[in-house]
Amino acid sequence: MEQFGIWLAALLTIGIISFLYKDNILYKACEAIFVGVSAGYWFVTYFWDNLYRKFYLGIQGAELSDQIFLWMAVALGVMMLTRLFDKIGWLSRWPLAFIIGATAGLYMMTYFVSNAFVQIGATITPPPSMETIGDKISFVLIAIGTFCGLIYFFFSKEHKGAFGGAAKVGIWFLMVTFGASFGYTVMSRMSLMLGRFDFLFGEWLGLIK
Amino acid sequence: MKRTVPLLITGIVGTVLIVSVLIPPAQSLGEDFSLFFDIIAVFAFFLGGGNLFRIHLKKVFHRKEDYGFSIVTLVGFLVTLTIGLFKIGNPEGISGSITAAGSGLQTIFVSIITPLSSTMYALLAFYVASASYRAFRAKNREATILLVSAFVILLGRTPLGMMLTGWIPEQFSIFQIPNLAVWIMNSANLAGQRSILIGVGLGVVAMSLRLILGMDRTYLGSDK
Amino acid sequence: MRIASFGIFILLVFGCGLTALAQDDPIDMVESEIVLPAPASKVIALNHKYDIGEILDVSWESSTSDPELVFGYIIYRSEGDNKFDSVGAVLSKINSFSDEELIPGKSYNYQIGTIGASGVALSEPSEPAIPDWELFNLEMWNIALIGFIICGAVIAYIFSAKAGRKLFIRKIGGLEALEEAVGRATEMGRPILFIPGIQDMDDVQTLAAITILGKVARVVADYDSKIMMPVSRSLVMTSARETIKEAYLSAGRPDAYSDDMAYYVTDEQFGYVAAVNGLMVREKPATCLYLGAFFAESLILSETGNSIGAIQIAGTARPGQLPFFVAACDYTLIGEELFAASAYLSGDPKQLGSLKGQDLGKVVAMVAIVLGTLAATLASAWDIEIMQKFLDNVMLGIFSNH
Repeated sequence: MEQFGIWLAALLTIGIISFLYKDNILYKACEAIFVGVSAGYWFVTYFWDNLYRKFYLGIQGAELSDQIFLWMAVALGVMMLTRLFDKIGWLSRWPLAFIIGATAGLYMMTYFVSNAFVQIGATITPPPSMETIGDKISFVLIAIGTFCGLIYFFFSKEHKGAFGGAAKVGIWFLMVTFGASFGYTVMSRMSLMLGRFDFLFGEWLGLIK
Repeated sequence: MKRTVPLLITGIVGTVLIVSVLIPPAQSLGEDFSLFFDIIAVFAFFLGGGNLFRIHLKKVFHRKEDYGFSIVTLVGFLVTLTIGLFKIGNPEGISGSITAAGSGLQTIFVSIITPLSSTMYALLAFYVASASYRAFRAKNREATILLVSAFVILLGRTPLGMMLTGWIPEQFSIFQIPNLAVWIMNSANLAGQRSILIGVGLGVVAMSLRLILGMDRTYLGSDK
Repeated sequence: MRIASFGIFILLVFGCGLTALAQDDPIDMVESEIVLPAPASKVIALNHKYDIGEILDVSWESSTSDPELVFGYIIYRSEGDNKFDSVGAVLSKINSFSDEELIPGKSYNYQIGTIGASGVALSEPSEPAIPDWELFNLEMWNIALIGFIICGAVIAYIFSAKAGRKLFIRKIGGLEALEEAVGRATEMGRPILFIPGIQDMDDVQTLAAITILGKVARVVADYDSKIMMPVSRSLVMTSARETIKEAYLSAGRPDAYSDDMAYYVTDEQFGYVAAVNGLMVREKPATCLYLGAFFAESLILSETGNSIGAIQIAGTARPGQLPFFVAACDYTLIGEELFAASAYLSGDPKQLGSLKGQDLGKVVAMVAIVLGTLAATLASAWDIEIMQKFLDNVMLGIFSNH
């Protein structure tokens, strides 16, 4: 059984890699298996984790207010299914509106605090070691870069003259950031493929001990 | 009714959640929403999964091109559903965890989903190479900056960086590639990251307000 | 309670271990057998600020005994009946404890047990304290203030635009290219692929993608082009269908709409990517739009799109994925531009007004950065005390997250 599992995994691995050459029957088969099996897997996970554990077990012995709360969630879920019926399909917009309103409200504050507020605070907070001239230059450079980056994102003014110049410096800083992220990721991506080759030539074919 | 009520729901729920951050007794509303969302998502899956089933069944029924693969998808979907929902092969029976070692669902996960996922993820090695080729053909000043920055970081993370610049005297050690890489990561990179993050924070505020105030409402469909 | 017991167990084991070690020295052994450590003193229980009335903060003055011989403190709680139960334990260097999950409005007092080698010395009980809740978290005044200014600015500009004031917004390259990209697909008779990221509707980036979809679908409907939108979340499929349907209705072409335009594939990240990759090479869309929350798949998708020669426009707020989109796509909406896109594309003056308000937020950020950096630099380079005070009390006072 274990050998069967390894062979299956090896065939699926080869099938996916073969896409790099071109779309082919093996890749199509892998894709079809992947979509069908994973969709089923996720539904099973949702069912047992959310509907059974969070809802069904949640209402067992819970206080009335908690029970009502959970039943309200189920009611919204059921409203979602009204889409299947033309005449009352518009009811499905209610849970959708609830989700959109809640996401907008919740994340508006979260992003405002964690992104805008905290980052401004971090930019003006001197590092613990601001002793060498290099530390001071870095501190000011980060502030200049952040400032110019914000100018680049300014919508109300055309990027012309000195303002345009600052926006240009802003985009240079953004490019350094993108380059840094890019360079940082390249190596780790290479190791992923080495991992798959290790499986094929080691675990499957036994060529690497 | 068809649009006004949803708009009101969006507005009220959104406003309540904004204010809840400042009101200690209401601070758990975020977690409550998460629970609500999880339960609604299960019902939504009946629509999504149902749609997947319908599309592939239609393809098979009408003998469309490549319908054989639709059969594979349908079989995979139904088999996994059956094994998972009835916990077939689960050593602890129906009351056991769905991810229990040796269970049917766990076997499917390990033998099918994991190799497929890891290999798809591993394809990135090739894609990152082709993207590097494109990015590294510096066409203008911006692309050149990206190229130089990426190159320094890349070399800085490998022994090659030190081999190439290890001869630079100690007093100019900042120009040794590994040190330069650390400096880029902690200064210029940070500046770019921060301007993006601050902008995103403000962008989310404005977009959320547009949704809560009902100015952007296309997601609600029409009155008809 | 179990955690408290475990903590006490660890402390006692630790204490006994040290006692056993100390037994090599006969004098220490005699002392530890007879003398209890000095008890902790001045035990105070206070209501925890800005919670829902379930926490009391207990603090005390440490034992005056040799710190080497004090192994920790046990916190005992009484509900007013002088019957004290242990509720937690801390190491000897700590002299405070937050007692959680209490009943609001009920009175509690505390006693601290100092753990020594020879036993536990009890302190005097604290005065009774009652956990209480507060309506507003006044600690977050700064966030409320700046948030109020920015939200106020957004709303003020919206109303200003509504009143007919003309507001200037510069052209954004990636968004200007959007209509052109849809037009190109129409000319070539090939479809447009719209990928709204891989997150669900509880992610703001997906919300941004859906709001942009409304505008894109309208152009698609006007041009009589074809849109394909495979999604990885069922809820996104539902909202996308509503959005596209509305766009087709408002374009006066309800008959051209089909539910098959947006369809669910799988929640599995790479399963979804495998299917979208396959779709791309088979259907060869002329335009690929990737707008929303993306992870590692950003590069797989955009490189595949590149291989089929599609015009590609991407946008995400995840800094880690932006470089790949920048490298592989024709246009990339960076962070904030993604959230501004739907307002920009709508051309609606009210929505454009919100972008002006957003800019005011940037002005606040830039002013804070200039003042803060200036103050920090002057304070550090020339030791100007007033600058240090200004930085600590004003700037960092405002921009600190409690």
